[in-house]
Amino acid sequence: MEHRIRRFARIGRREFLALSGAGVALGSLPLPAHAQGKRSGEIAAGLSERMLTLDPANHYSISATSVLRHIYDPLVDVTNDSKFIPALAESWRAVNNTTWRFTLRKGVTFHDGTPFNADSVVFTLKRVRDNTKLIKSFVYQDLDTVEKDGDYAVVVTSKRPFGSLPAHLTMLGMLPPSAGKGEEAFFAKPIGTGPFRFASWTHGDQIALTANPSYWKPGVPRVEKVTFRFIPELSTRTAALRAGELHVIDRVTPDLVETLKGTRGVKVLDVPAIEAQRWIFQLAKEPVKDQRLRQAISLAIDRNVIIKELLRGYGRPADNPVPPGLIGHASLPAKVYDPEKARQILKQAGLTNISLDIVLMKDLYPKQLEVTQAVAAMLGEVGIKLNIKNLEIATAREQRTAGTYDLFFSGWAHMPHDPDWYFGQWFTKAGSEKLTRYANPRVEQLIVEGRVPDPKVRQAKYEELERIVWDEDAELWLYYTVAIYGVSDRLRNFEARRDYYVLLSDVSIV
Amino acid sequence: MRVYVLRRLAQSALTLLGVSILVFVILRVLPGNPARMLLPEGAPESAVEELNRQLGLREPLVVQYGLFLKSVVRGDFGQSFQYRAPALTVVLERLPATIQLSLVAMLLTVGIGVSLGILAAVRRGTRYDVAGMILAVLGQSLPNFWLGIMLILFFGVALRWLPTSGFSGWTSLILPGLTLAAFPTALVARLTRSSMLEILHRDYIRTGRAKGLAERRVVLHHALRNAAIPVLTVLGLQIGALLGGAVITESVFAWPGMGKLIVDAIFFRDFPVVQTVLILSATVFVAINLVVDLLYTVIDPRIRYS
Repeated sequence: MEHRIRRFARIGRREFLALSGAGVALGSLPLPAHAQGKRSGEIAAGLSERMLTLDPANHYSISATSVLRHIYDPLVDVTNDSKFIPALAESWRAVNNTTWRFTLRKGVTFHDGTPFNADSVVFTLKRVRDNTKLIKSFVYQDLDTVEKDGDYAVVVTSKRPFGSLPAHLTMLGMLPPSAGKGEEAFFAKPIGTGPFRFASWTHGDQIALTANPSYWKPGVPRVEKVTFRFIPELSTRTAALRAGELHVIDRVTPDLVETLKGTRGVKVLDVPAIEAQRWIFQLAKEPVKDQRLRQAISLAIDRNVIIKELLRGYGRPADNPVPPGLIGHASLPAKVYDPEKARQILKQAGLTNISLDIVLMKDLYPKQLEVTQAVAAMLGEVGIKLNIKNLEIATAREQRTAGTYDLFFSGWAHMPHDPDWYFGQWFTKAGSEKLTRYANPRVEQLIVEGRVPDPKVRQAKYEELERIVWDEDAELWLYYTVAIYGVSDRLRNFEARRDYYVLLSDVSIV
Repeated sequence: MRVYVLRRLAQSALTLLGVSILVFVILRVLPGNPARMLLPEGAPESAVEELNRQLGLREPLVVQYGLFLKSVVRGDFGQSFQYRAPALTVVLERLPATIQLSLVAMLLTVGIGVSLGILAAVRRGTRYDVAGMILAVLGQSLPNFWLGIMLILFFGVALRWLPTSGFSGWTSLILPGLTLAAFPTALVARLTRSSMLEILHRDYIRTGRAKGLAERRVVLHHALRNAAIPVLTVLGLQIGALLGGAVITESVFAWPGMGKLIVDAIFFRDFPVVQTVLILSATVFVAINLVVDLLYTVIDPRIRYS
């Protein structure tokens, strides 16, 4: 029996390779009809974070985004290199700085057969704007009018320029207007236009989805069924992959890579993530409001040692507040390690007996405590004492709000592949009021000017503002993380994503 | 007897009221802000304010408690902040998994623990005694986390006999059941042993043997029944603890039970879920205690309540 399965497996792989070759050659032409009949098998994925809701507007969870991307389609998709590509919107353009026009795909139906059209988009966008109970509501408060222009076009205006709207829409699945009639009942058994249909959800354990045979994208999905299991404990997730119960797991830490590589049938895929690990300063507080101290701290940290020794190479030194690939990124002068210069600066500035508190959100980021301890030792070398306060997340965040910290370990994943959220949150007066207390009118102005839809303008504005905050040492950018996945070698076409998503629509299993 | 039961029921109601006040106040005194935990890192303060208002957390504490009590009496424990669903539904969904796991762990505890205890007591000083007590010490001292992972690696990854984790079918109950039962089994084994040893020296046991009863009957009927009282007390407490959830075992085996739910709920300041779980488990605890007290009269006719 096993032998026979293997033989089938080989055929499947060869055919798959042939097909993907054809796909490259033919560009976006639909796959031949017989390819659509090849849907077979089941994939089980293990995710690190429990999913809490099936409502695409009511979470900012990466696990939930991954799972729900299979049930619902957004208007816009984002590729692994942060390019925005059509999903339910065939095209979109900025009519002016405050108006976007989306042209919708025709012939798409929801899982119950009702057609997808502009009404769905209008309903979904108005819902997320108007129902302030929804977690994503605050992002859409700038939306002004949402109107259909015929059945297959929608015009959206905003109170202020909203250049990042297409990016945000990659995380918002489109709902049928009928969802509004009884949301509780709808989200208990939701329907979308996505490649998979909702089958069942055991809360806290797993969600099962079955292929949508009439999906609008030919040849997709490639398997009959996918199951997402929620296993926050990494050693358990790893064990399930090694035992063959799962075919892919996310959020592998560097110290488990060797174990996985040593397991037969399992491989490790990694990709530089769009996430930066950074420490923020309480900039209204002595002594860290003194730029010389911040510069000295940065000079005293050997980022390469952290990456090499603690992260086993799975990290990259930051060369900009924003990781490469996103709009606005430009390579800035490296933050060098020069403890001698750090000592000099401290001496010249008369900064002695410095003792700083750093607050950590307990167990949130892998290796955060070890990294912090290493940095504490490095700072000790130049005469700065670092007191580590490893606090439960809610308590830590309260301290950040109250401003009772000097430094705070605060990673940032640049969702949704756009830096506007990051800049607006951490470098405007309103955004940083309860966070870093950062205030610089010029930076604030650049952020506002960078909100326009024109990518050239955005790039220029962001480059300028990045240089300013980089030279101010407004934050301590330590390293960009690497997303590591454990994958069964039976999977074909699985892509390790820079945004930590686990997307299985184009993946097949042999 | 009826008066006794009624009095106990009234006391229980008071206890539960006390629990509800305590839980309610402690949760709100804790540092941390539910809306800030729900919203993504660094959402604007205006969004935090708005969400807190929507969640009803801007009312004075007394008003909040009054509203809470009013709806609890009607069986409405409020909406979970995280799940946006009735807290009671969220909790009850976890009940089957919790009950299954507790049941298996309890069966293992009673089956293995009591037998091991009897064996060790009857064969005191022999290899059986030593082996049983070594097992008991291991059971009580091995951390659940380590034991769970070792069982997974051995039976799940190396041998592939049993599923490593999850909640699917009876095979997935075995490893977490064993892990969870380790501690109470050891406890019960040691308790049964010492309790039995004490009883086995009593005069009526010698009388039983003297009048020619089979050893089996002496041990199981005359000795065990009398030795069972302290064991029963401990078992009652353990059932309560198991139903309250087994955080570590549930985490290791990705088991969708109550323990993990409540820890996450505390973490994310999901007040309604924490309140629901604590009030429900307090109710179960109180009820089990009452039942155990009443069971004493069945096991030991000398005990009478008036």
